Amino acid sequence: MPRVWIVVVGFVLAGLTGLGAYFAPLFQTAASSTTSSVPGAIQDLNPVQAPTQPFTVLLLGSDDDSKFPPDRINTQSMILVRVDPVSKQATMLSIPRDLWVQIPGQGMGKISTAYQTGGPDAAINAVESNFKVHIDDYVWIGLNGLVKLINQLGGVDVQVTNPVMDDYYPADLSSTGNPYDYYRVAVLPGATHLDGVHALEYVRSRHGDIRGDFARSERQQQLLLAIKAEASHLNIADLPTIAAAFNGEVKTSISLDRLRQLMAVAGSFNGSNIHRVVLVPPYTSEGFAAGQDVVFPDWNQILPLVHQSFP
Amino acid sequence: MRWLVTTLLVIAMFCFGVGVYHAAGLLKASHAGVQRPTQVSAPSLPGTMYLVQGGAIYRLRNGQFTQITADDGWVQVAVNAAGSQLAAVERHTNYSDLYLLSTGGRVIAQLTHNGPGSRPENNHWSFYPRFSPDGSTLFYDYDPKDPFNTYRVDLAIYSSPSNPGSSSSVKWTEPNQYTGGDVDPQPLSAGSLVYSKFSIDTSFKVASQVWFQARPGSAGVALTDPADGCGQPAVSHDGTMIAMVCTKGSNQTSELDVATFDPTARSLGSITTLVPSGTMASPTFSPDGKTIAYLAPAVAGGSFQLWTVAPAPGSSPRELTTDLGLDSLSAPAWAA
Repeated sequence: MPRVWIVVVGFVLAGLTGLGAYFAPLFQTAASSTTSSVPGAIQDLNPVQAPTQPFTVLLLGSDDDSKFPPDRINTQSMILVRVDPVSKQATMLSIPRDLWVQIPGQGMGKISTAYQTGGPDAAINAVESNFKVHIDDYVWIGLNGLVKLINQLGGVDVQVTNPVMDDYYPADLSSTGNPYDYYRVAVLPGATHLDGVHALEYVRSRHGDIRGDFARSERQQQLLLAIKAEASHLNIADLPTIAAAFNGEVKTSISLDRLRQLMAVAGSFNGSNIHRVVLVPPYTSEGFAAGQDVVFPDWNQILPLVHQSFP
Repeated sequence: MRWLVTTLLVIAMFCFGVGVYHAAGLLKASHAGVQRPTQVSAPSLPGTMYLVQGGAIYRLRNGQFTQITADDGWVQVAVNAAGSQLAAVERHTNYSDLYLLSTGGRVIAQLTHNGPGSRPENNHWSFYPRFSPDGSTLFYDYDPKDPFNTYRVDLAIYSSPSNPGSSSSVKWTEPNQYTGGDVDPQPLSAGSLVYSKFSIDTSFKVASQVWFQARPGSAGVALTDPADGCGQPAVSHDGTMIAMVCTKGSNQTSELDVATFDPTARSLGSITTLVPSGTMASPTFSPDGKTIAYLAPAVAGGSFQLWTVAPAPGSSPRELTTDLGLDSLSAPAWAA
């Protein structure tokens, strides 16, 4: 081989190595995804086609602080999202964490405990069997993962509808100290820019609101839209930094190709074509079962509602 | 010689690889960098304005920003009508306190002592200081404790003499329970009050309304419809107009509206939308009532900048800053 070609190949390899190093965190995160659908690396840099078929994703959020052993984590937040890329319609359905349901292989229990016994698969099974829907993918995120994601996005803008006051907000994010400590939260009303920690306070606070967990569900949906608004400014070059920040705080069945497809259609959706559903009364009612406060579903009202949006 | 060339080529290849790594980083979507106000200038406005960024108070005069306090948790600055004194909140973990400040940012007096308490729930919040038009009284928010339920934290509006030697206070409003409370006090010259009140109906829908109250503890009157979702009222210095942010039921976008105000009839005239859709926050009238300053990002998800608009139909908003992440919940305080 002529020397000049050796030099050229050397530079090409050096360039590819630099590129690989830059995107390495992205591939490491993909490799730690819980399904085998993660494709190879290089083709992920190719152009993608936006999806054309409707798909449903279950978003799971957990308090994964030191109060809970890693194998005893519940899902404090469950949001079912259906996206129809053709009609440009999307629906977010928040499932109350205390919803009293039949959990496959476990019996009656709060739907938030399904994850505890069998991870994402059990949570998906519980939602699919009770809500009679098909779930294509899931995304699970922990407390620190959400904080890091929002910080990497540069914060989010939200419209706070009323003062969010909580005198018993868990001080559980710190790795040191007592995870049962608490502090006061006051998120004042109006449009505001929140960093990760304050955004988390906004969506976790519940003690001072008459709507309790339902208010949190509404704010969680609001935060998702705010994250989407910020993420729409991103491109593929931003992903390695975000992936590196997650460091195991995010699990998903969504492949890199799929993720890029979703990013391609994300810009088509805004607040007006995203239908938001929170299962407030009369779809649910608060009660007491097996010695704990629970939320009873009225399936006669819930299922017709769900089937409208998740056919 | 041959080894030297080879070595240089290897070094060049290494540098090329590093360069590609950094070049890939340059492709990242750039988030608009936020600068300190003192690093930028703005178009000149009449009078003096006080704004907050990153826990510090800045004074804007003749187009130049001056930082007048340290980055120390300062928020929600207010100025008296004479422009001679400031009131502001210093916020800490679990509590916040009101202070009187000179226009140069020097602390004159600490007006409240809300913490630190032995336990988090033993502390108090104070927010939204506002001088009465004659400067003699300071209105503000405070969270009285509910002896029957420690989970309930609803802000109520109080007033106290702005003289730091006085410790008396008067409770003005009774908030709807578990809504977070009443906020945004706007004292009027007749001794009455305009503010934001929240309610939550049986279907758990939150409504924000601009409310009028003639005297402490009296029954108030709603000035806006619950469906309009209006809040953050700002009353012009002559008391004839109210600017406000209305969400129209959305928790994603809001608009900036203005209406004439008749305090005698306790009613608003027809509402005019000045800025139709965006993320509006914290309007304030100029001392002469000819301009409204407000805070909003230029694009969805951006950082909050200072804007002005005339309170008349068809007015064009003017963006005065482009790269400041101003505290959107600290309304500009504007004095002559």
